[in-house]
Amino acid sequence: MASRLLSRADRANARDAVLSLLLLGGLWEAAVRGFQVKPYLLPAPSVVLVEAWKSAGLLWTQTLVTLWEVLAGFSLAVISGVALAALIHFLPPARRTLYPVVIALQSVPKVGLAPVMVVWLGYGLASKVTMAALFALFPVVIATLGGFAGVPANLDEHFRALNAGPWVVFRRLTMPAALPNFVDGCKVAMPLAVIGAIVGEFVGSNDGLGNLILTATGASRTALTFASLLAVTALSLVLFGIIEILGRMVWWRRM
Amino acid sequence: MAEDVSPVIRFDGVSKSFDSQGKRLLALEGIACDIQDREFISVLGPSGCGKSTLIRLLAGLLPYDDGTIAIRGGKVTGPRRDVGIVFQTSNLLPWLDVEANLRLGVEIRHGRARAASLDLATLVDSLGLTGFEKSFPHQLSGGMRHRVAIGQALALSPDLLLMDEPFGALDALTRDQLNMELLRLWQRDAKTVVLITHSIAEAVLLSDRVLVMCGRPGRIVEEVTIDLPRPRDPAISRASPLFGDYVVRLSRLMGVT
Repeated sequence: MASRLLSRADRANARDAVLSLLLLGGLWEAAVRGFQVKPYLLPAPSVVLVEAWKSAGLLWTQTLVTLWEVLAGFSLAVISGVALAALIHFLPPARRTLYPVVIALQSVPKVGLAPVMVVWLGYGLASKVTMAALFALFPVVIATLGGFAGVPANLDEHFRALNAGPWVVFRRLTMPAALPNFVDGCKVAMPLAVIGAIVGEFVGSNDGLGNLILTATGASRTALTFASLLAVTALSLVLFGIIEILGRMVWWRRM
Repeated sequence: MAEDVSPVIRFDGVSKSFDSQGKRLLALEGIACDIQDREFISVLGPSGCGKSTLIRLLAGLLPYDDGTIAIRGGKVTGPRRDVGIVFQTSNLLPWLDVEANLRLGVEIRHGRARAASLDLATLVDSLGLTGFEKSFPHQLSGGMRHRVAIGQALALSPDLLLMDEPFGALDALTRDQLNMELLRLWQRDAKTVVLITHSIAEAVLLSDRVLVMCGRPGRIVEEVTIDLPRPRDPAISRASPLFGDYVVRLSRLMGVT
């Protein structure tokens, strides 16, 4: 199985992705120079990269701030999401009461909750972690629920014929059968957690990449804004990649 | 065929109905029969005649409405620990390799210690799975998956082995091979076997006795004792005139000819 982290196909895909990004950057560079776009409106990629190089220390420390918010929020979402899914799936009263609440919570525009979180939890880490968790929670709940419900009926009957108790059924059948769906949920949730943390920083914060985007834009340092956006994107991609690679431990996709 | 004459299994006036869209559907009616120790019984019938329901009642996977089903004098109220069942679908866990799948039944029913002491090498060998111990189900052919499923049930060393059309989805050649292996294992371990099938030739080849069912409602219309010498072999047995006579008789009973 996974003897190597990245297969030959992975590396070929990565090469193609980098090539297309370089092409896009080249077009952008040419357009900005050709049409003489003002740098405070749209800086050329070369200008953004130079700015990123000059502000590397600042970008790195702010990326770390956001990284911790995202990781804490994502972990919170995964733990509470799986717990909620288990309650909703295994306890019929919870399905009738908790499930509608989860759906309703998802229907609330979470961007609108950000100021409330700052009021409740302050300018620090807690409000950002909560925002990241709120953004990431729903896909984890829905995907895990789908996994629990998707356990094939024939395997369920098979375990019953083997006199398996409820805990054995959960540990040896329901849980492993639900893992592929759970991993898919995590893949959707991770970029959402990044967005949640950035939204939290936008509304009220002293640091983080979202804060940097705001202050740089306020100071008309558009190149730094773009460099910060680049950092957010890179952070999100790296975190997604980690989930993707970890998710390969769950290789039994076909049942 | 055995000296012990007290039946292992007794069906006595068993009926079962299902509720389907507000209507009551009688699936089985007045099922009565005895199955002796170490007998190989086939239940033969067209699709939808209730034979799968019959085996699920016997396995304790479904409750029945009237009558009694008793195994060794004890009324069946749920899945019993001395019964092994092989289902139509091979029911392997895709995340476990062949060895772990073979061990799974014993592990769940009797615990890890018993499962660890299983003689897997012999079992794997008798199933013709040598070299595939570390393979996963998706790497196996359909026939091999069914062998693993049968092996998992055999590893339980059940007193009573129930099989619900285990070879239904296989090609004729694989089916013959598995039938032969089943016969060999049965003769070695001498369990009581109840096999559900819709193949007349399979029923004649394997069984001591064939229970013929018909549908709506499902009931046993005839019992045919198969008096063919053992050990049997698909090629030789099928060539014998007696085999042909049984096939013709069972075909008539099922309304095929």
